[in-house]
Amino acid sequence: MCNPAHFQIRKVTREFNVNGEKLTALDAVSLDIAEGEFVTIVGASGCGKSTLLRLGAGLDTTYSGRISHEGKVVTGPSLDRGMVFQEPRLFPWLTVERNVALGLENSKFTKSEKKRLVEEHLELVGLAGFARAYPHQLSGGMAQRAGIARGLVNRPNVLFLDEPFGALDAITKARLQDELNDIWARERITMVLVTHDVEEAVYLGDRVVVMSPRPGRIRDIVAVDLPRPRERTSAALARVRTRVLESLNSTESKPSVGPRLVEGERGSKSGPLRPAVALAN
Amino acid sequence: MGLTGALLPGALLVLWWIASDKGFLAEQILPPPAYVYETARDMIASGELFHHAGVSLRRVVVGFAFGAAAGLSLGVAMGLSRRAEDYLKPLFLAFAQIPTLGWIPLLMLLVGIDEALKFIVIAKGAFVPMVVNTFAGIRGVSPKLIEVGRALKFSDWQTLRLIVLPGAVPSIFTGIRYGLTHSWTSLVGVELLASSEGLGYLLVWGRQMFWLDMVIVAIIVIGLVGFAMDKSLDRTEVLIQRWKREELAA
Ligand SMILES: Nc1ncnc2c1ncn2[C@@H]1O[C@H](COP(=O)(O)OP(=O)(O)OP(=O)(O)O)[C@@H](O)[C@H]1O
Ligand SMILES: [Mg+2]
Repeated sequence: MCNPAHFQIRKVTREFNVNGEKLTALDAVSLDIAEGEFVTIVGASGCGKSTLLRLGAGLDTTYSGRISHEGKVVTGPSLDRGMVFQEPRLFPWLTVERNVALGLENSKFTKSEKKRLVEEHLELVGLAGFARAYPHQLSGGMAQRAGIARGLVNRPNVLFLDEPFGALDAITKARLQDELNDIWARERITMVLVTHDVEEAVYLGDRVVVMSPRPGRIRDIVAVDLPRPRERTSAALARVRTRVLESLNSTESKPSVGPRLVEGERGSKSGPLRPAVALAN
Repeated sequence: MGLTGALLPGALLVLWWIASDKGFLAEQILPPPAYVYETARDMIASGELFHHAGVSLRRVVVGFAFGAAAGLSLGVAMGLSRRAEDYLKPLFLAFAQIPTLGWIPLLMLLVGIDEALKFIVIAKGAFVPMVVNTFAGIRGVSPKLIEVGRALKFSDWQTLRLIVLPGAVPSIFTGIRYGLTHSWTSLVGVELLASSEGLGYLLVWGRQMFWLDMVIVAIIVIGLVGFAMDKSLDRTEVLIQRWKREELAA
């Protein structure tokens, strides 16, 4: 990890207007992401995770604060920043293959390189046999995998993934987690992955960002200082998981300020404590 | 559909046959099926029927092509640009409210009663549904897909070519189908009023001469041609939009 301030989010606030009422989706959120780091984000539904990713990817620019990537302020989308959306968002009129190829539409590869990359990535997500299928012929999990392939195929510098494995069965999920981990280890793409699965967050992340809702804030950042490849069932990983779960579940009566169980975390930015698990909306 | 669709026409044919056989109506008003069949055969043999059908079809093809192209352009313009919508939509809506027949007296004064009149009336029939459906199709394209294009740095042209237009195709196709149907029906309307050729003219002429057999032949041919056009568009639609049909069938 060379540059510790590769991707910077500084005091970012994003407000929405919902039925004439102001809704603070993100409240002064700050997070520095190092080059090649794998950051995972967990938090209750509606705490602003997707909002944060859209801001990071440059898809939403109506915020206060500052977001920069390699020192340059993010003012819009870029091919250096990839996005795997929470829903697969495939184009229904294109085959799976053509959907994935859209990720390379504006990249500088030659035609045959593009073809090879698309094939490789379909293979990677286990959809090689469905290259010519249309999206409605896929199951939910297959569509999600096609979306992942489209996000990965262009090899962005930073990849934002919004619950990419949410609709997958346990086995496929574990396999794709390992594939993602391998791609990351091989290519050093900076990864920012949102998930509801704490196990996944600690298994994949260098740091786990714990967010809390209303207003959306970063409550805690838990570093996972464990060597890779990691053992899913190791006791050390279980301890970190417990630590993240505690942070997620902490309420006002259970302040999370105090001795940290896990070493090595960078300045965590926790606002006033709120119940982390609240009913969505 | 299969054969079930043929049941009702078959029943009507039988009813017609019984009605004329029993003499419910005078033969001059309702000629028997066999007689109409004879007339149809004669008209085919003499080439008369094909001549008139050909004239009508050519008018529809030309008028529809112009009307549909203009409607597509206006629909795309209003769909893509709020400003175009602000400027053009009120006028278009008012225009669309006036039935085609209402324009004919004015048009007759402006362009006479020759081919130009027919083309304009037919084109108008195609124009209105094309605009409405193209506009709705473009506005209905999912903003989530457009956002995918933004994340992939699509240019405006790429967004149009890869997302907006393909997304609007189903709706545009609906516009083409309604447009063709409207073109065909307004063709017959304008031929009734001002023409010396075409299927609509056969209707008027047959009525004036009290050749009801000819009137019935013309009516049947008008219906069959319209039906055939709609069917062939249906086929084309299935071919072009394989992804959509299968979705419905699934
Ligand atoms: N376009 C929008 N307009 C209005 N409010 C919005 C909009 N997008 C998000 N919000 C609000 O912002 C808050 C955060 O939404 P966001 O989608 O970021 O949540 P999330 O953490 O991704 O939740 P989930 O885990 O359910 O996906 C929610 O309260 C939501 O209602
Ligand atoms: Mg979300």
